[in-house]
Amino acid sequence: MVAGMPPVERLHLDHVVQTVCVLESVVLRSFGPEGGQVLFTRDTGQAMLSRSGARILTALRLEHPLARMVVECVLKHSTVTGDGSKTFILLLASLLRMIHKMACKEPNVSHTYTSRQTAEASTARHLADNILAFALEELDDLIAMGVMPYGCCLSWEDFTAKKHLPGPSNNDCVQKLLTSFFHSRLGRSHCDFISKLTCELLTHWKFKRDQPSLSLEFVNDNLDALHTPVSGFPISCSRLIEGQVIHRDFATPCPQTEQKTVKAAVFSGYLQPKLLNAGQVLQLGCGEQWMEENSKNNSSIVQFSAWTERSLECVFANLQSLGVSVILSAVKQSAAVLSLAAQAEMCVVECVSENELSLFTQLSGATPVSDCWMVEPEHVAMLTFCRPILLGAHRYVHVAFNDSEERVTVKPCSLVICGLGEGQTDQYTCAFRDAIRMLLSTWEPMGMTATTASKRTLQSTKSTYSHVDQIPNVPPFQQCGLQPGYVIPAGGTFEFLLHHALLQNGTSCSASDDTVTSGLAVSQLLANALLIVPRQIYSHSPRHFLQAQARFQTIIQNHSHPFSLVYKQEHRSIFGESAFPLEEDKLTKHRFTEADVSAKLFMSDSGLESVSCKYQLLLAVLQCLSSILHVDTVLHTHTQSRRLANTSWEDTDDETED
Amino acid sequence: MSRLSKKSPSLCTDLPLDNADICKKLDLLRQLLRSCFGPTGRLKQVHNNIGGHVVTTSTSSVLLPAISSSQPFINLIKTSILNHVSRFSDCGLFAAILCLSLIEQAKQSGLRGNVAIRVNKHLLGLCTSYLQGEDCGCKVKLDFCSSQSLITLARSVISSKPTCVLTEPETLHISRLAVQAFLLTVPCSSPGIVSLGKIVTVSVEGHGVLNSTVFPGVLLDMPDVFTIDKVENLPSDALRMVLFSASLAGDLSELGDGIIEVHPGVDTDSQILDQLLELGKQVVKDEVKLFVCQKVIHPVLQQYLRGHGIIVIERLGITLMEPLTQLTGAQPVATLHTTIPAKAYGRVRDLRIRTFGSKTMLHLHPPGECAICTMILCHRNETMLSELKVVCQKTEHVLRLTLREPSALLGGGCTETHLAAYIRHKSMNEIPETVSALGCSQTECLLGVEGFCRSLEAVAAALEHDGGSSLMDLTHAHHWSHPADVLTEHMGDSLGSCGCGLVESSPNQKWTYLNSKYPQFSPAPLSEDASVQPRVLDSFTAKLNALQVAVETANLALDVRYLIQDVN
Repeated sequence: MVAGMPPVERLHLDHVVQTVCVLESVVLRSFGPEGGQVLFTRDTGQAMLSRSGARILTALRLEHPLARMVVECVLKHSTVTGDGSKTFILLLASLLRMIHKMACKEPNVSHTYTSRQTAEASTARHLADNILAFALEELDDLIAMGVMPYGCCLSWEDFTAKKHLPGPSNNDCVQKLLTSFFHSRLGRSHCDFISKLTCELLTHWKFKRDQPSLSLEFVNDNLDALHTPVSGFPISCSRLIEGQVIHRDFATPCPQTEQKTVKAAVFSGYLQPKLLNAGQVLQLGCGEQWMEENSKNNSSIVQFSAWTERSLECVFANLQSLGVSVILSAVKQSAAVLSLAAQAEMCVVECVSENELSLFTQLSGATPVSDCWMVEPEHVAMLTFCRPILLGAHRYVHVAFNDSEERVTVKPCSLVICGLGEGQTDQYTCAFRDAIRMLLSTWEPMGMTATTASKRTLQSTKSTYSHVDQIPNVPPFQQCGLQPGYVIPAGGTFEFLLHHALLQNGTSCSASDDTVTSGLAVSQLLANALLIVPRQIYSHSPRHFLQAQARFQTIIQNHSHPFSLVYKQEHRSIFGESAFPLEEDKLTKHRFTEADVSAKLFMSDSGLESVSCKYQLLLAVLQCLSSILHVDTVLHTHTQSRRLANTSWEDTDDETED
Repeated sequence: MSRLSKKSPSLCTDLPLDNADICKKLDLLRQLLRSCFGPTGRLKQVHNNIGGHVVTTSTSSVLLPAISSSQPFINLIKTSILNHVSRFSDCGLFAAILCLSLIEQAKQSGLRGNVAIRVNKHLLGLCTSYLQGEDCGCKVKLDFCSSQSLITLARSVISSKPTCVLTEPETLHISRLAVQAFLLTVPCSSPGIVSLGKIVTVSVEGHGVLNSTVFPGVLLDMPDVFTIDKVENLPSDALRMVLFSASLAGDLSELGDGIIEVHPGVDTDSQILDQLLELGKQVVKDEVKLFVCQKVIHPVLQQYLRGHGIIVIERLGITLMEPLTQLTGAQPVATLHTTIPAKAYGRVRDLRIRTFGSKTMLHLHPPGECAICTMILCHRNETMLSELKVVCQKTEHVLRLTLREPSALLGGGCTETHLAAYIRHKSMNEIPETVSALGCSQTECLLGVEGFCRSLEAVAAALEHDGGSSLMDLTHAHHWSHPADVLTEHMGDSLGSCGCGLVESSPNQKWTYLNSKYPQFSPAPLSEDASVQPRVLDSFTAKLNALQVAVETANLALDVRYLIQDVN
């Protein structure tokens, strides 16, 4: 098989389509409300469950270079936004199929090509480039005008200030956003519970007066130190606990104190001085002149170790005078340290990981001690308690912090993630991390991207769009690009709306543009390719897809608001009055009573999706599309890595025969 | 599909639950575990292909790790159950059998995966709220005023492990010991946060089980018997003792990574030994009578101490350090150059030599109240002894769980049948609400309920191994078993009492075979009769978690649509 492999492999369009369709068929198993989990084993033999597209695609350990390229694109996208890897593959496959169909129908005849296949490839490449160019140029405006009026903006202030509002607030929206995210990542049964937990965690960790991203970034950066996986319990046992959990046990018996505050000090090095460092030589018993230089003035080895013990006693005396009763150490301390600590009624926690110590110092405001002989009051952290906590099989150290001035609004808390096994807790943790990333990219200001920034200058000339005036309820600020924090009902709403907007754009362009065919074709192609997403969401019954499509058609034609349909039904008003005046609410309510019934059917349990995540996803897909279509040949070179890859493939053969 | 998966090194399986091979393996696992369940469960011998140690067991915590499968599906279920067992020590087989039955039932019913999952989750919610509720008919409050119900609980755990090969009086003896040891670890008078003590287990092979016993305090191995004479002469009130956690062998480990050059004429060894003897002198001066070290003691120092009438025990090991510090109040010493502070010394009230078979041990009595005790376990051979040790540890854990939640569930399969009857009744009454909440059709919902209840009943039926039939009465919905070889006109005559022993058979009672159709009814609560005590009790906390783990694992398994095996 190795010998038969050609060194040069021509990549034809059908190969590309085929490869991506194979990936799609794997991903589809866990896509949408009817999707399930994928069980995979790691190379260690550990069984893992996942619904995360990125995780599934990596687990496949693909060898085909093109497929690997696609997977890399997916991973790059999902590490940033934490979401959308399954939709990525779906959209990519759908676009490729469309392009393939078009290229086969009318291969570009303006040039002379050696074969029909090269002609097809060239047309496809052309189309992909055009779509990408079109998307970079127009997509944000199209979304701003065709999609965002139907969504609502999540504001961080409302989310964090949920306690003061009497009715359901923005917190509901964040929770709905998280619910649909977790639905796609963990399945329906646990998404409500986990999203509620996430919201609670974020409310505890909000920094007042700060941007949402700061708070989210803090949680994202410290998630390792902030969560404790516990296996053997159902997920419903997951909870928040006050303070921080240090994932180590006490090295000395923990004395039970009734004191109000516990003082702790953080040490990064050894308390007992090392007499000799590597490379140093201690000479014993070689004459007077040596002893003077050493200034230790004796020749017995015992004296040296006695000296280290005495210095240790001084350190402990100093610590005792400062009232320290807990020592957190980054390294393993000597037996003498533990013994002296026990005698001084201090408890020692050894080998605390670096990020846990850094979180501890951030939260307590104390600085770690670098020099054992120089322990000052600023090194002492004030804790409300420090006690052992039993989580699953392990006993950890549980600390809580005194409230300090800066942290009035922040209530430090840690997350205990329970699962049936390590594989499940891992899965939940990954989902958690990605949820935070998704929220981060939801609130990320979109104007910062290079493409939109370059477009700002063009904005003024473009604001005279003919159909801007037709769309009601568009707050003026929306016309200048994508606003961060926008969400839209899940379940294909984004795709339906953008589909419509793209088709409209196609027709409006055709009048003025001179590249009529290509502009129109590109719009239509993209519009049709988008429909794969709702089609797969309603894959269990095609009838529902058609119903949903028809319903959106009416909504768009009547300029009604899908959001208001959901929420007015339940007598809610989730939008600020500035964005959506009350009289408009009444209008929509009166106009679309018939539509309400069907709307509720689909939307009452559907969550929310972030518009900016969708936008970024679409751009990433189009970039990936154009880059894979630019590849025409695969060169198989004979290097070390290739041989390795082949041996692993042969191993596979052996195992399957077993 | 074929083109790419042929190239990809990972093995892929689409819709694994429709795969005949995987179904066969799941079924095999279910039968294997089912045959181990309960007091009459069949034992399994595990031996590996390289002629290693043969293990005889029926415990899930020993059996499941021995089952190694290349099938990730099996491993998924296995790890779930093992994680539950490592947290709760009980109900592992219950969880495994229930989980596998649920998967099988869901497959048989032909329900869509998502619907089955939703129904299961809903019914689990019903179960847990019923079990946690006040009016639960299969829960009994544990009475800490008498040890009777604790002994029953312990006995149920111990008798469900037939590998121990215990006779009826032996089972009762071990159950009593387990409860006694547990009670000794609960401190009597400590305000604030109560921290439980520890049971140190010492196993002695070759003696009858009835020789097993429990002592308060700690028993330490005494290899040197020649000091016995002196021990007997010791006064028995408050002896001073010292505990070292650092090595006293004369090594220098804390100096660092540098090089030490020793010039001729300098005898480092004797310098260090002199230092150790200094320590010895202080200990003698401070009238210490017991000298214990976690690590090795230099023979010269040992000799010196013994010469002064001090009992020396070395190589204690890290596990006994904590019980010993708690018992004596000593603080482990690790500094060799500073004088030992007075408060680092501990106290022992009484020293006694005890012998068990070949073992000679020094019994240390605590000076005051102390929650440390030692359990001496005896059994005829090694296999039974090791299983007995495991069982006693599990029993201790189960008893500890009662401190958090002082309840127990009826054993002998009665909880399962009762719960099944309750779920049938409850979900029939609430069918319209359930259907709208779950978003499925009524038929689907009924199918799901039937599957769930049948799985629960299958667990109760798994207790029967001798070809008998499992029955359920139609008033209290308790579990009864009918031996295969008894043929009587009237069924009630041969039944005696139900699985847990709370219900006696009476002529006007009606029974139905498990897994047969019966009209749904509301199981009647038992009359408050204090004279009848349940014979079999299961841990409430462990069973509740096992139920949740089983349903959640089954749901995960039903949710799997694709399998990717990394074969690197």
